[in-house]
Amino acid sequence: MDTTAQPDDLLLETAPLTRRRWFRLTMVFVFLLIFGAIRVPMEVELNKEHRAAFFHGAKLDMSLRQQIGQMSFLAALGGFRAVVADGLFIMAHVDWQNTQWGKMLFLYNNVTALQPRNVMFWDTAAWQMAYNASAYYLNDPREPHMALRLKRQHEYFLIGEDFLKRGIANNPDHFKLYESLGMVYRDKLFDHYNASLQFKSAAQFPDSPTYEVRFAAYELSYSPGHEHEAYDELVRLYKMGEKEWLPTLLKRIKDLQEQLNIPANQRINIPENELPPHH
Amino acid sequence: MSAISIKNLSKVFPIPFRRERIVAVRNLSLEVQPGQVYGLLGPNGSGKSTTMKIVLGLVTPSAGSTQIFGRDSRMVESREEVGFLPENPYFYKFLTGQETLHFFGKICGLHGAKLRDRASELLALVGLENARDRRLSGYSKGMLQRIGLAQALILQPRLLVLDEPTAGVDPAGSRQIRDLIVDFKNRGITVLFCSHLLGQVQQICDRVGILHEGVLVREGRLDELISIDNQTELTLENATPEVLAQIHSLLASSNARIIKERQPQSTLEDYFLDVTSPKK
Amino acid sequence: MTPTSTLYADAPARHVFFSPARIWAIATNTLLDLIRQKVFYFLLIFAVLAIGISPFINQFNFQDQFQFLKDMCLGAMSIFTWLLSVLATAMLLPKDIEDRTLYTILAKPVPRFEYLLGKFLGIMLLLFISLLLMSVIFVITLYGREQFALADTMRYYANAPADVLQAQLKSIHDASFTISLIPGILIIFVKGSIFASLTLLISTFASSMIFTIMVSVACNFIGHLQAIARDVWLSPGTAGPLARSFLALVALVFPDLQLFNLVDDIVAGNTISLILFTKTAALGALYTCIYLLLAYFIFAAKEL
Repeated sequence: MDTTAQPDDLLLETAPLTRRRWFRLTMVFVFLLIFGAIRVPMEVELNKEHRAAFFHGAKLDMSLRQQIGQMSFLAALGGFRAVVADGLFIMAHVDWQNTQWGKMLFLYNNVTALQPRNVMFWDTAAWQMAYNASAYYLNDPREPHMALRLKRQHEYFLIGEDFLKRGIANNPDHFKLYESLGMVYRDKLFDHYNASLQFKSAAQFPDSPTYEVRFAAYELSYSPGHEHEAYDELVRLYKMGEKEWLPTLLKRIKDLQEQLNIPANQRINIPENELPPHH
Repeated sequence: MSAISIKNLSKVFPIPFRRERIVAVRNLSLEVQPGQVYGLLGPNGSGKSTTMKIVLGLVTPSAGSTQIFGRDSRMVESREEVGFLPENPYFYKFLTGQETLHFFGKICGLHGAKLRDRASELLALVGLENARDRRLSGYSKGMLQRIGLAQALILQPRLLVLDEPTAGVDPAGSRQIRDLIVDFKNRGITVLFCSHLLGQVQQICDRVGILHEGVLVREGRLDELISIDNQTELTLENATPEVLAQIHSLLASSNARIIKERQPQSTLEDYFLDVTSPKK
Repeated sequence: MTPTSTLYADAPARHVFFSPARIWAIATNTLLDLIRQKVFYFLLIFAVLAIGISPFINQFNFQDQFQFLKDMCLGAMSIFTWLLSVLATAMLLPKDIEDRTLYTILAKPVPRFEYLLGKFLGIMLLLFISLLLMSVIFVITLYGREQFALADTMRYYANAPADVLQAQLKSIHDASFTISLIPGILIIFVKGSIFASLTLLISTFASSMIFTIMVSVACNFIGHLQAIARDVWLSPGTAGPLARSFLALVALVFPDLQLFNLVDDIVAGNTISLILFTKTAALGALYTCIYLLLAYFIFAAKEL
């Protein structure tokens, strides 16, 4: 075979320009650029719609990568984000058994960063911090000063509150975190007004438990300056029928009637045996 | 209309990253008439395979044109009338013989009972009925060639293109394939084939073309090409020594002379087949 | 056997320009090839994963158990589908070219685009069947665990008021398989089809299978970062002109694959509306079609 072909008159060009490989590859590249120019606006728009529907809220940034390590970060990027979050969550569970509160906090921050739309993660993190960690530090035998123990306890209440607030920011469409935040305000921070607001928010969801609206009314009734408002709400609930006549509701109505000096002819008659024991 | 018409065909392959180019075929022109058996010969690298691939539309020419029964090879439709048996048959090894024929039949547009019947007939024709359910990975070389022939026939082609149809096949299988080719010719199918087994080519081809370095150096009817002009061959039966003496004396008084006188021999192939064939 | 031979008839059949039957024959042949290469054995690994996670999660409550199980199974489905789409497609063309089976097929009246389309459809069939089987294993595993959880709950709350028991049972049902997971699984399929078509495009000009796989994996990686590149490019003042040009190039050439990473959020409880799902799937289908067309553009001129 003649391998050193000279360009004689028998010898023609190889394939015409349009059939040569490098030409076609270049055309493909150019086409991808043009196609890109058309589709980038579509992608931006779709991305906005996704985010509005609460997708892609996970913050996969460098600080997370440093905290969870390269392999986990790559796994999270590559489609195993939920599994990585679960793994860290399980690790936090193990740390709980060893009362490693600092480590748990670290892990829960990462878990919620990876899976911000998982309500249970936020709820568990908040519960661990506001209820369990705080109780631990209140009774910490290593700390002799009560004042310092109380301060520590309070710090963990606030950490729990923070988790719930961030959780709500990521999941404003779910009742649970509002409810949990309401309970933290009620039971730990003794902020009745804010508790009432949270329970009221929780009550707006059609799938929320029926007690939310009652809890909101109760907490409002304990908020200074809001007693009248609370009384009106409690009476409204009372008038909805017997299924609302729970002991606590009845007791609050009775107490408020006394406290607000409601005229006798406007009071609701509440028999003693309907009230909760040891009132 | 010619079965195959090649006009001024050239093919140049560029070598990536080098300025030289390979000229595989250089200004080739030839015609294959319907019903002929045409042998395309040449040393390795002479351009035979490239020419065949261009005729089949697998490779585009750098210049010139090829046509099959008047249709340009680059058109997909031209391949309806061609059956191709490649060298070292290229089939899916995970399919059985029957599945192979069914697959090729389906991509040629056959289906249902028609496909099944055609596949069965072809398997019978090439003698592979007993191996129809065996995967091609378990076929011998000769069996692969035969299933290749069968798939080449699936569309009832008027033209068969065969690349080294008997390469690597034992004498018995080779004889079978040769007999099939003769049978095709008798039915009017045009055959173009390449082979290095010149003895076989000599036995069955009508015309040959010899390629060398991409150029068609010789082309024509076989008997015209290889006959030695000024010699005549006589084969006598039952000739007595007296008759032979008369012939010798007759020749002595003419310009002709005897170049060779011997007892004709059977071919080694016939002898081998006779010795190794199953006893009836 | 028919009485008259069909071997040597007269006129050949008319050539059909576009034949779904031809494409389907190539597609089923491709699928058969992959099945006979025992590709479906990976399902055993998947089943082992789905069942093997049990000992690790039994210490948690039922909601958590379902969460972990769903995360693991859907994550595995995502990864396996991606692996299949890249690896199976990467070897399609090189294998046919190396074994020269491509010659035998294209020597028949089969247009190149039908061949390519048939091969691609074979891969789509593989992905579909694999996802279906994985989904079945997934649902069965969830169902088994759900039954166990229900039985346990009935025992535990045997003396509780009816509405409390019902609420508990309902919460178990809700934590188990829900219809909202189905769009997540379908999007995994869409993502797989994008990868298959992209890998096919790369294989039309790549010199080897390994090269094809490496480039495809790199595209996967870059595609997940494309959104970041795009955002930086489009927001003024965040980078210098050279950097912005580079980021623009990345944003224009590569697809945004984060748009198709929905299953993590879906399994966390996020639901996707039908409209949003349709838009996302349509964009994925668009990518697939474009990559297929480009693959044909290169393959049509390929010297065999």
